[in-house]
Amino acid sequence: MQNWVKGAVIALVSIAATLAISQMLRSPVEGRTPDVNVPRTAGGKPDLNGIWQAVGSANWSLLDHQARSGPVLELGAVGAVPAGLSVVEGGEIPYQAWAAAKQKENYENWLSRDPEVKCYLPGIPRATYMPYPFQILQTANNDILIAYEYASASRVIKMGKVEPPPVDTWMGQSAGRWEGDTLVVDVTGLNDQTWFDRAGNFHSEALHVVERFTPVSPDALDYQATIEDPKVFTRPWKIQMPLYRRQDKSAQVLEFKCVEFVEELMYGSLRKKTGTEQPYTPARLRWP
Amino acid sequence: MKALTALVIAMALAAFVAAAAQQQPAPASTSQAAKNWTPPRTPDGQPDLQGIWTNYTSTPFEVPDKSDTPDVYAGDLDGTGRGTGPSSFLTDTSDRKLAKARSLVVEPPSGRVPIMAWAEERRNYKLAHIQDDWVNFTPWERCITRGVPGGIFPAGYGSGYQILQGPGYVAIVYEMIHEARIIPVDGRPHLGSSFRLWNGDSRGRWDGNTLVVDITGYNDKATVATNVATQRVRAIPQSEQLHVVERFTRVDENTIDYEAVIEDPKVFTAPWKVAIPLHREPDYQLFEYACHEGNRAVPNTLSAGRAKDREARAGAKSR
Repeated sequence: MQNWVKGAVIALVSIAATLAISQMLRSPVEGRTPDVNVPRTAGGKPDLNGIWQAVGSANWSLLDHQARSGPVLELGAVGAVPAGLSVVEGGEIPYQAWAAAKQKENYENWLSRDPEVKCYLPGIPRATYMPYPFQILQTANNDILIAYEYASASRVIKMGKVEPPPVDTWMGQSAGRWEGDTLVVDVTGLNDQTWFDRAGNFHSEALHVVERFTPVSPDALDYQATIEDPKVFTRPWKIQMPLYRRQDKSAQVLEFKCVEFVEELMYGSLRKKTGTEQPYTPARLRWP
Repeated sequence: MKALTALVIAMALAAFVAAAAQQQPAPASTSQAAKNWTPPRTPDGQPDLQGIWTNYTSTPFEVPDKSDTPDVYAGDLDGTGRGTGPSSFLTDTSDRKLAKARSLVVEPPSGRVPIMAWAEERRNYKLAHIQDDWVNFTPWERCITRGVPGGIFPAGYGSGYQILQGPGYVAIVYEMIHEARIIPVDGRPHLGSSFRLWNGDSRGRWDGNTLVVDITGYNDKATVATNVATQRVRAIPQSEQLHVVERFTRVDENTIDYEAVIEDPKVFTAPWKVAIPLHREPDYQLFEYACHEGNRAVPNTLSAGRAKDREARAGAKSR
């Protein structure tokens, strides 16, 4: 082969390699600008179909929290609380004075007060960043279903104009609209029973949540939620975190029907004793 | 007293209407209509079942029989009229005009589920001992699930279902106990046999315009039927060998013919089939059925049982 041909081939290959490598090096998750390569539906909207999960420990606390021992001595490192950085913009939840005191009291009485301990419905936004996957099912023409693994919770996001919710509920009413490539969900009609995390952060029935789901790559969504509750906070505040697509090919939302796991805790003292029960050993509890 | 009289009149009326309704002939087979009607398709080519559907019916689950003992099935052994489940005047079935058949159980032809004797005894024991332990309630009263296929058996209220479809999936949102059941229709195999699930493991496929769902991997803690409306079949136990095949066929704009064939060689002497029409009702609003969050039935029932135990002990001492 002629030398100049060899040279040309080498040059072409190296250009191709450079292009390929630079393509690979482009960070898929960083940055907030909608990525033009996100999957799209036939109608041109971002296709959010898939199984997603938040990674991190926001469900332990929305705010900065260092690692610490858990409440049950016998659980050792298995039951310890992992560290996490704040997902709250500005690193502070703007509680009214009375509410800040109540949050502290909630934290101190975590196990008896956290609705998650009793397997109650999680509410919005907490459902999003619990340590379980959820599936988004986006239909071609209209509504979007989000099915959460935790407690078989779900919500159907009704697209377009909806009537105000007739009653308050645990999961509220979700009304969606597209703003460019962002799915904006307006959540109203939430009751005052749910929490934001295991740290006792709470709200009243005046809660109004506006969520924004923006695809930033084929496998990541930027999730933001603005939280407004004039009865509890001095101003609206915002959380933000990425949601990741579960990559495992066989990923599916499995059954986590936790009612069965809390019946002994909730009703055990009322059960007729037969003498054949497998007794629980007393555990050593201390919190905080 | 006035209110009581009104209630008695209302109940008598309801009974009369129900009896009159029984006289109507069974609807003609819908299979002919199905042949003449082509359902719309979703963009990925699935027959479109989407929308809000309800399953109100006045048809009894089984063909009634002289040997039936409704108080036992209702868990109302004291005959107080306060078994578990809503009283008839709380349900909104009776004011709807509905096609009637002899029974929802269509196979075997008797309209009676072929239940093994041991399973009926087990049911009787459990329903007679709901004050002892929550495991004697059905999973519905425990607020775990109404199950698959039981979640589609009419309960009289909370009767809304929303079907949504996306690429590779059909989802059914059940109003009662907020179930969001996601059925893959992408040909994937069943889960491994170590999964023993309350709702089993659903795998769907399209057979022409019919969604066929095969369900295995059940646990042996659930019961196929949970509501009082399922009468004799309610609280019948199930084994891990339970196998269900459901068929959803949209036969016209406003109707899905739902069928489920149920087999469990440890519990039933033969497979049996239910057929339930689902009616499109776009204006029906599914409400949140936050069951466990407001469950007073289980703790109150157990608490009543422990109060009885205390009374019995006090009585024994004073004797």
